[in-house]
Amino acid sequence: MENDVIEIDVQKELVSAHGRMTLTIKVKLLGGELVVLFGESGAGKTTLLRMISGLTNPDRGILKVGNSVWFDSDAGINKPPQERNIGFVFQDYALFPNMSVFNNVAYGQTQGDKCYVNELLQKFGLEELSARKPDKLSGGQRQRVALARALARKPDFLLLDEPLSALDGDIRTSLQNEILKAHGINNATTLLVSHDLTEVFRLAHKVLQIKNGTITGMGKPDQLFLNNQISGKVQITGSIVKIQKQDAFYLLTVVTGMNQILKVTAFQNDIEKLSEGDRVMVFSKAFSPLILKM
Amino acid sequence: MNVIPVLIEAITCSDGVVLVDMQSDNCWLSAILVEGDELPTWLTKGAAVSAVFKESELSIAVNLSGKISLRNRLPCTVQKIECGEIMSVVSLKFGQHLIQSAITTRSAKALELNTGLEVTALIKANEVFLVQSIKNAQAPIPHPHQL
Amino acid sequence: MPTPFIETLLLTARLATFTTLILLVVGLPMSYFIAYSRFQFKPLLEAMVSMPLVLPPSVIGYYILVAYSPNYWFGRFLNEVFDVRLAFSFEGILLASVVFSLPFMVQPLTNGLRSIPISLREASYTLGKSKTTTFFKVLLPNIKPSLITAVALTFAHCIGEFGIILMVGGNMPGETRVASIAIYDEVQALNFDAANQYALTLFLISFVMLTLIYTVNKKSDTWKMM
Repeated sequence: MENDVIEIDVQKELVSAHGRMTLTIKVKLLGGELVVLFGESGAGKTTLLRMISGLTNPDRGILKVGNSVWFDSDAGINKPPQERNIGFVFQDYALFPNMSVFNNVAYGQTQGDKCYVNELLQKFGLEELSARKPDKLSGGQRQRVALARALARKPDFLLLDEPLSALDGDIRTSLQNEILKAHGINNATTLLVSHDLTEVFRLAHKVLQIKNGTITGMGKPDQLFLNNQISGKVQITGSIVKIQKQDAFYLLTVVTGMNQILKVTAFQNDIEKLSEGDRVMVFSKAFSPLILKM
Repeated sequence: MNVIPVLIEAITCSDGVVLVDMQSDNCWLSAILVEGDELPTWLTKGAAVSAVFKESELSIAVNLSGKISLRNRLPCTVQKIECGEIMSVVSLKFGQHLIQSAITTRSAKALELNTGLEVTALIKANEVFLVQSIKNAQAPIPHPHQL
Repeated sequence: MPTPFIETLLLTARLATFTTLILLVVGLPMSYFIAYSRFQFKPLLEAMVSMPLVLPPSVIGYYILVAYSPNYWFGRFLNEVFDVRLAFSFEGILLASVVFSLPFMVQPLTNGLRSIPISLREASYTLGKSKTTTFFKVLLPNIKPSLITAVALTFAHCIGEFGIILMVGGNMPGETRVASIAIYDEVQALNFDAANQYALTLFLISFVMLTLIYTVNKKSDTWKMM
């Protein structure tokens, strides 16, 4: 799998909240990569994941994993999800409520290999919970079960649909590690949908940026998200909400995209080009900021 | 912010830390940058770029003597002093360029700054930014959803 | 030789049990189809299944009786090929009761299947499991309350059915004389004690069945928690 190339070239008409759009994705992925699909909601990220898994059919195109053709509209090939060796982690995890944690994981296996199920449970720290039903688990525990279950089939391709969106703060961080672990277990090519930059920078080997159904950018997170024309490595964008004259200089209040408030000093020659409401980038050298653990 | 055009003379890399030596108006300047594995394409020897630094990071010395770690020493002439209650902004002529320094009013008084006085402006190398070209740098501000 | 009272009750139980079993076999695939297929004329099928809920039993009974008659193709076919005459026989009321109780089985099952998030089925498919495996291992166990409701409702409804049995089966002891008809018969004959015996038995059985349904439905907040 590791050297296999995954070739995706698909199109599909979609009716989204913003009206009709055509999802047009053409990309080649290397086996073993961890790729994050990044973009606003409604951009077509989940649909792409579903088309790869066979849960949604593209209108036309080709989907090839290594030498195996999963979808080819011209040749009339369309493998059902059962025949595509994938692991899918749903946004709501979709754990089977009637089965224990153990059985949820074991269900994903072709032959009942109890040892491997136990190995997975152990890797994700679920041994103690193996007899519990999903409704007796916390959100983070459910996510771990979903990951273990998706790996039970030893998939070539691991697809994760915003697996962390339902969780907050600290759990998110620790579960990002679990995702890295999941990716490491078989070195399955992993495609993760996210709109969280923290996730992108922590997890991605490569980012596919999708906007209105097309790929608008691709590359390493650094290349894609840091403005490369400035040597300042700390870059924050925001809007100026207030400009105050203070003593011999000015104090700007900037609200960032993450809704944080920054206060920045500026001088006469800066102010001449700025007014309240302007979108700005606040930047500093990687040296300058101090850092404090929270 | 202060912007002066510079010509890159030498680049020294070590594990992602980059020392850039450059010249502006016959004065040597250096900057220390932290870059990734690859340098941006515009950052090469011989390239004309802009050096950028903040007013508040620029110090002023009169009759500088003795040893000092700062190697960015810009010979300047005082053009104008704008005094605030606590801070003062001193406008300096450096070669063809006008730069500003924000220092405390107390210091400005202690230095006995006057229009026409020859001074040395000092800035630490890690406070100097390099920008491809200031016009380009300001134009593409990424959309908030991308950041 | 059991007393007529016991004989009637056994017959009633037999009718209800067979009807429920047949409907389980027929109702599960039908509910699956109604719940998930994108068949264009599905509303037509749904309407047909639910007709017994709104039509008087006599209307359905009349049509069934007509169908059983050797004058029409269905009755003639049965008569000629299998030498079977359904009117006024146990098999006849069994078939009629299957038709008439269909919505009581299909509706709860359909609702149960529809309430399962689609991602559960899809998760099973992505884990390599066929639709059949998914149905028995994932869907069915997760609609247990609906399944119990459907079975109990169908069973209780069969026990209580009167009009259609009378139309199709008449009142033949040991063959078509079920408890509800026996009550009517005993009242006509002014045997109020016997009528009371039947009535009380039916009352208790129905009451127990319904209590069971509500208990089950209360216990399982199903899996909205998930």
